[in-house]
Amino acid sequence: MNAIKSPKDQKKVLDKITFDLTRPIVKRDELTRFWFFLLIMFVIVGLWGWIIQIDRGLGVTGMRDYVSWGMYIANFVFFVAVSLIGFLISSALHLLKISWGKAVSRVAEQIAIAAVALAGVIIVMDMGRPDRFLNIFFHGRFASPIIWDVSVVVTYLTISVLLFYLPLIPDLAMLRDKEDLGIPKWKRRLYKTLSLGWKGNAAQFKTLYHAMRVLMLLIIPVGLSIHTVTSWLFASTLRSGWDTTILGPYFVAGAFVAGASAVIILMYVYRLRYGLKEYFKDYHFDQMGKLLVFVCLVYLYFNINEFLVPGYKMKTAEGIHLIELFKGGYSSMFWLVQVVGLVLPIVLIVFKFFRKPLPLTIISAVVLVAAWFKRYLIVIPTLEHPFLPVQNVPEHFQHYAPTSIEITITLFAFVAALAIISILAKLFPVIAIWELAEEKGIDINQLTEEPKIN
Amino acid sequence: MRNLIRYIFITLLVFSFLNSNSQEWVVADDIASIQNPSPYTLQNVNKGKELYLKNCKSCHGDAGKNNALPLVPIPPDVTSAQMHANSEGALFHKITAGRGTMPQFETSISEDDRWRIVNYIMNFNPANEPLLVDAPKINAKLLGSVNEAEKKVEVLAEFQDKDGIYKKLANTPVFINSKKTFGKIKIGQATTDENGRAVYQIPETVVGDAEGKIDIIISMEDNYTVNELLLENAKVCAPNVAENLFDEAVLWGTNDRLQPWLLVSYLAIAVGAWLAIFYVVFQIVKIKRLGKE
Repeated sequence: MNAIKSPKDQKKVLDKITFDLTRPIVKRDELTRFWFFLLIMFVIVGLWGWIIQIDRGLGVTGMRDYVSWGMYIANFVFFVAVSLIGFLISSALHLLKISWGKAVSRVAEQIAIAAVALAGVIIVMDMGRPDRFLNIFFHGRFASPIIWDVSVVVTYLTISVLLFYLPLIPDLAMLRDKEDLGIPKWKRRLYKTLSLGWKGNAAQFKTLYHAMRVLMLLIIPVGLSIHTVTSWLFASTLRSGWDTTILGPYFVAGAFVAGASAVIILMYVYRLRYGLKEYFKDYHFDQMGKLLVFVCLVYLYFNINEFLVPGYKMKTAEGIHLIELFKGGYSSMFWLVQVVGLVLPIVLIVFKFFRKPLPLTIISAVVLVAAWFKRYLIVIPTLEHPFLPVQNVPEHFQHYAPTSIEITITLFAFVAALAIISILAKLFPVIAIWELAEEKGIDINQLTEEPKIN
Repeated sequence: MRNLIRYIFITLLVFSFLNSNSQEWVVADDIASIQNPSPYTLQNVNKGKELYLKNCKSCHGDAGKNNALPLVPIPPDVTSAQMHANSEGALFHKITAGRGTMPQFETSISEDDRWRIVNYIMNFNPANEPLLVDAPKINAKLLGSVNEAEKKVEVLAEFQDKDGIYKKLANTPVFINSKKTFGKIKIGQATTDENGRAVYQIPETVVGDAEGKIDIIISMEDNYTVNELLLENAKVCAPNVAENLFDEAVLWGTNDRLQPWLLVSYLAIAVGAWLAIFYVVFQIVKIKRLGKE
């Protein structure tokens, strides 16, 4: 980075960065109100659906004796998957000293917090008796992957929040003192509380860096565990399609695909909506595109392993499951997910043109939708083919189709995740100002502590 | 071309042969003359009836109602003269082998049971006295006790005669069953003597619960109306010493049979992660304190 020499220039640049990056916080126009109105409406409709489900029981869903995990669990796996990007970008890239990751790390953390929080919520919503959730703490079995999963989701959520919060402290301290940016008073009061009397002295920075480093190291095993343990919920059964040893890494690889595409979409939205072209540069999209194509290739490799090897052997039960996916009722979904959602993006993103912001965002949207359907394909077809024959049951027990209540609650989950992201974006800068300044060679302390410099 | 004509000709010939044959199904004499090894008793006829209703009725129809399916040839009614023109051996052979639309039952019904179906058909033979008569059910009463020392069940059976007086029921089978969650399983049967008493020795092969106890139900044939007798907690069996698979400490066990390494690993990881989180929280507190200096 070219260091900017004169303090005057430094101040100018810093002011511009600060001004640009606080626009999301200040901006209050019709569109913002309409967006929050939409979010609140959908959340209310979703909660109303949930009240119906609690009132009448899980019979209002499409889940029956055989398919007892439906769209909710697919959502759960999807959210856990998306949340994993927080660990990849804000920790792994940081520790590998890949500097472009800094610009997107707060975006990634926003997604991680929203997704992992909703992963927890959707599990409670999947329960016919949500009050029995407490039984996990009173009567949980340490040998059960469900206990491990609950532990790791809570731990990951905590770490993600801390990892979002810690790099925020210097920014909050700076914004707390600035009156000329038009930030609402209550937000500045909130910054004052949250910035913990930050003065930006060397000792504080040292402690901050130390704490961040501990978290970044800690989130690696926890991040890997969260999705590996989620995969064990499936892989520790004998069911065909789930009974495979590679399910852990397979899930982790798939998670990076879903998360990277979510980050790209959110970057593009911020860039467009808040005019942050100079911060989420074409360069960042190019790099994110390369990251996406890399994780897609890893995921493709696992997919080939996951389907070619059992497909070669076609063991009885496994064969029924695979034929259902390859040419049965789920074949169109399966091939769309594999070809349009994985192979085609890889082929396209390899070309530089498709790593430009708009094409990349469109491809990412396709990848993200395909990632959701991929989770649906992991959960449901396997349950429709138990080892014992399905007999003497009503027709609708044999196949699963989500009901309108399930779709409503699923919409709620997505809207609630968007709401969390939106609130975080309206409250805090979407890029760490001080890290950006540091990158540009600006001594932020000098400028904030002694603002009257010439 | 010549081949094709020949083929069609042969096919037609075979068909006409089959068709003419369908009018008459002749069974070789040595097979037709086989005697029915299954005695002509009410029990066998009843069993035969049960099998008939399950396997044959769908085509042959209800006995005496001539409501068979309109197949070619029409399956004869069990009461018809056409049916009873067959000897018992011939009936058995036809059930076993089948032909045309009549399926074979060699693989789906045991030999004994096929003979019992013949028993049932013979109930409608004019030469036999029908056993299946719609007689009114007889009221009966059962008393019983368990001799745990000798592992015997003793039963006293009585029936109500025309005047409403209970009398000893002689020469009648009573059934000894074990009570199960969804009904009962027959262990064996004993026949009452002239005093209406029957004694049944529980075989040594019967296994009870961990203490060797079972719940015994004593029942009678269908033509009696009787309250089945329940003798609970009869300690007459070998105790069940089967190993409980859940006793072993396995990876997926309950908390009291948890493998120690698993608990240690879980706690070490969880506690370790949370200690690190608390350490970070402590650092945040430290940042605040440093701000005040």
